[in-house]
Amino acid sequence: MFLRNRYNYLALLFISYFLFIIVNFFSLQILNINDSIDKIDQQTYDIFYLSAPRGEIYDTNKEKLVTSSLEPHLFINLRKINADNIDQYKQYLKYNFEELKNSDFEEIFNSREALYLIRNINDLDYLERQSLLELEAFEIFDYPIRQYNYGNIASHIIGYIGRPTLEEFEAYPDSRRNGLVGKSGVEKYYEEELSGIAGEIVFKGNEIIDFTTPQPGEDLYLTIDIRTQRIATESLLEGIKLANENFDSENIIQKGSIVVIDINSGEVISMVSLPDFDPNKFVKGISSFDFNQLNRIDAFNNFAIQGLYPPGSVFKIVAYWLAENEGLFPEGISTRNNRVKCEGNLSFSFTDGSQQVYNDWKQDGHGNVDLSSAIQQSCNVYFWDIALKIWRTYEGSSNESILQKYARNLGFGKITEIDLPYEKAGVVPDRELFEQWTITKPELVRPEGWLGGDLMNLIVGQGAITTTPIQVANAYKTLLTGYSSAPYFDKNKDDIEIVKNYDINDEFIEFLLNDLNLVTNKNGTAYYAFEVLGSKANDIGGKTGTAQNPGDKNSTSWFAGVDSISNPRYIIVTVVDEGGSGSAVAAPISRRVIQHLIGVDLTPVKFGEITE
Amino acid sequence: MRERKVTLLGPEGTNLSIFFLFLVFNFISWFTLFVLSEGIELNFNNILIRQIVFSLISIIVFFLITYISIENLQQYTDSLFAIITILLAVLLRTSPKAGVRRWFDLGPIDFQPSEFAKVITVLFIANYLTKRKSKYPLFLFLGLILFLILRQPDLGTSIIIGFVIFAIIFVSDIKIRYLVLIILLVFTFFFIFLESGLINENQLNRINDFFSTDEDFQQSQSKLLISSGSIFGQYFESNKVEKVFVPVETTDFIFAAYAYNFGFIGVLFILIMWLLFFFRLNQILNVSNSDFDKFVITGFVTLLAFQIIVNISTITGLLPLTGLPFPLLSLGGSSMVSTAIIFGITNRIFIENNLVI
Repeated sequence: MFLRNRYNYLALLFISYFLFIIVNFFSLQILNINDSIDKIDQQTYDIFYLSAPRGEIYDTNKEKLVTSSLEPHLFINLRKINADNIDQYKQYLKYNFEELKNSDFEEIFNSREALYLIRNINDLDYLERQSLLELEAFEIFDYPIRQYNYGNIASHIIGYIGRPTLEEFEAYPDSRRNGLVGKSGVEKYYEEELSGIAGEIVFKGNEIIDFTTPQPGEDLYLTIDIRTQRIATESLLEGIKLANENFDSENIIQKGSIVVIDINSGEVISMVSLPDFDPNKFVKGISSFDFNQLNRIDAFNNFAIQGLYPPGSVFKIVAYWLAENEGLFPEGISTRNNRVKCEGNLSFSFTDGSQQVYNDWKQDGHGNVDLSSAIQQSCNVYFWDIALKIWRTYEGSSNESILQKYARNLGFGKITEIDLPYEKAGVVPDRELFEQWTITKPELVRPEGWLGGDLMNLIVGQGAITTTPIQVANAYKTLLTGYSSAPYFDKNKDDIEIVKNYDINDEFIEFLLNDLNLVTNKNGTAYYAFEVLGSKANDIGGKTGTAQNPGDKNSTSWFAGVDSISNPRYIIVTVVDEGGSGSAVAAPISRRVIQHLIGVDLTPVKFGEITE
Repeated sequence: MRERKVTLLGPEGTNLSIFFLFLVFNFISWFTLFVLSEGIELNFNNILIRQIVFSLISIIVFFLITYISIENLQQYTDSLFAIITILLAVLLRTSPKAGVRRWFDLGPIDFQPSEFAKVITVLFIANYLTKRKSKYPLFLFLGLILFLILRQPDLGTSIIIGFVIFAIIFVSDIKIRYLVLIILLVFTFFFIFLESGLINENQLNRINDFFSTDEDFQQSQSKLLISSGSIFGQYFESNKVEKVFVPVETTDFIFAAYAYNFGFIGVLFILIMWLLFFFRLNQILNVSNSDFDKFVITGFVTLLAFQIIVNISTITGLLPLTGLPFPLLSLGGSSMVSTAIIFGITNRIFIENNLVI
């Protein structure tokens, strides 16, 4: 039975306590407000921040690439060190930790920090740690250790960490407290997710009076496959070594890049840039000697997204698409199957009466070529003919830049928006750009401005055009699927914008796949590189490129390919800076990576045939 | 089934003052978290977005609970009690997070069964006292649930459930001498726990610290934070008083942050709203013929009032830190939803007693 009078006692209790609370707050907030503000002004608390463990990084198979572990570290509370006990502590440290040098002691005891990290004491057992704590200035806190399990492999994707600069303090407020910030790669791009929140150690005078534990950052799952990454890195190194042995180059060949992307999703499976570095060196602070040595060979540049190269013949697929889509073929023919005769050079006259001769890489010519064999044998004359047609039909009109429009439509001349920092956009030159350059960079252009010859250069990927390997890979992906999207590394990325390109239909994709397939088969420029695959080569496609560079720089070696014609899964793009020849260097490197992707036995990279 | 008048909101009807107060408390929490969240980012990690999502869920729960008749509720009470006991037992077998086993990890949210155990325990005792004569087996069940929660360990929730049990039994026709006996038993029980080391060392330290002469750092800071709110609060000031360290502002210490931002006026407002709510519940005691209704209301009033009292007392340094949320203000899904269930059941009791305003 419910007794109302007893409930009233209970209610009375609650009401009186509520009234008491109100009185208490009245006293705190109104009567004692000035006392409190004085107290706050006089508070002499200091905070020492303890780094949070950054999130760990995994590859697509959940293989751990970067580990963060918390290990106990010995700290010294320097506020408890005074003239009387300083020698005692020095003696103690010297006796117990022989590796500490005199210079270390100077740094420790002259520091202005309240707490100073002395060393990792993970190697000490429980009793030894306890005996350290008997000295009142010693403190033990867990401190994060970051380890890059694969060293140089994937170093440009992952990036490295270091002490934040003033700008980084502003951009990433947590970095000030953590004392660390991602400097490149996904370590930088995903800084906010990875960083975590530093712990706080509150000092009142020399006593630690409060401690909050750091909150670890979020883990990051990448799309890359570390096995593919390792094989791609090895293959590129092998190919570069062979190129050095076979070419008489002025400079040592040492730079290059490989990009493998998933053709359907845009996931980046592998991205190699050479020379590379070991991010572990940055964890404890890299020496300036090591840093300068790596910096001198551009080891910190990710050439896959920052290397700007003329694309050479891999760019011919842009004109290929334009020709098919606009019905714009060389003078006198109107379909992909009509042939023109290639005599090894093209001579023609412009409206101003000047006579020009352009020489193909193959001096005795390719014979009768149609669109397919022009791609297969990388015949320049065929594409120059198309450029001439464009020039003669549209010079001065808005359609003059139709080739550039197609190139930009495939993503050339702008960043792909991949989730890495410092991506470069490259340049697709046209009349406007040349007009700007006559003012801003007069050394790069002729005073006459944009001429027909510039367009002829552009159509074969030469001249002022520059592209990055990731742009080329993404352009091939767009042309072979009809959809464009940004490539990405974050497996859990959820804001992927996919745009359908209505100028690319299934029939066109089929034509292009078949013609790329001709390249790796008999009479194709990459035949020799793919010969070892035997009948498997029947299902592979690609395009070689050898882009000439100004001055005494050797040509840039390119290959852009697809792992399968019947069921395309991956796009692979290989670039070797000053690699000399696409078919001889980049193609056999790519072949070894494709061997891995399609699951056949790997054979060594072999120096290929020099075409182009 | 009792006959009911037609009411305005929802197919089962709604008591307008209960629903109105429920919304007021929800809006206060939105506004508080809006002030505390730094900028609005549209993702689930943002505390404001989180609270709004929880809050909308809790409003839905409020209406869903209103569908369940008190008769049905009474029927299922024993099964619910069995389920929550099992859940609490299973929880003890999971791996600890930050030294305690208090939550089931369900992806983006954590599920805290002890929040629901509070509500179910109230229903269970109310039902038991209405239906059965002998009171002794009751103590066995209640002892079990207290034991399971103490083992997590969660001293705060154990104490609150203990007090709620005491309050409901107190308003029943139990003889006062038995009540005294129960209190003595609970204390013995508690000291056996202490002696056998079953209470978490951390919590003991907190209690020891409290009785030592040094003021707890977090509590001294939260007192300064509250005090600097002054009459109208710092939210509307341009030169804010800062340099105060308060941990976990959005959960246990949220009322300190509230008092800092909205001042004495804000504190007065929220406390008066809660007092209004409790006075409103008195109507049931006057009108209802069902003892179950009255026991449940007693339990809910005690549960909410005691939580508010303990939360405010800890942040003003009157009680040692226990980690109890402030109802409908602290960030936390389980706490929001369990409080919504309390409001929903209360609402149902009101409409079954034909009280619509």
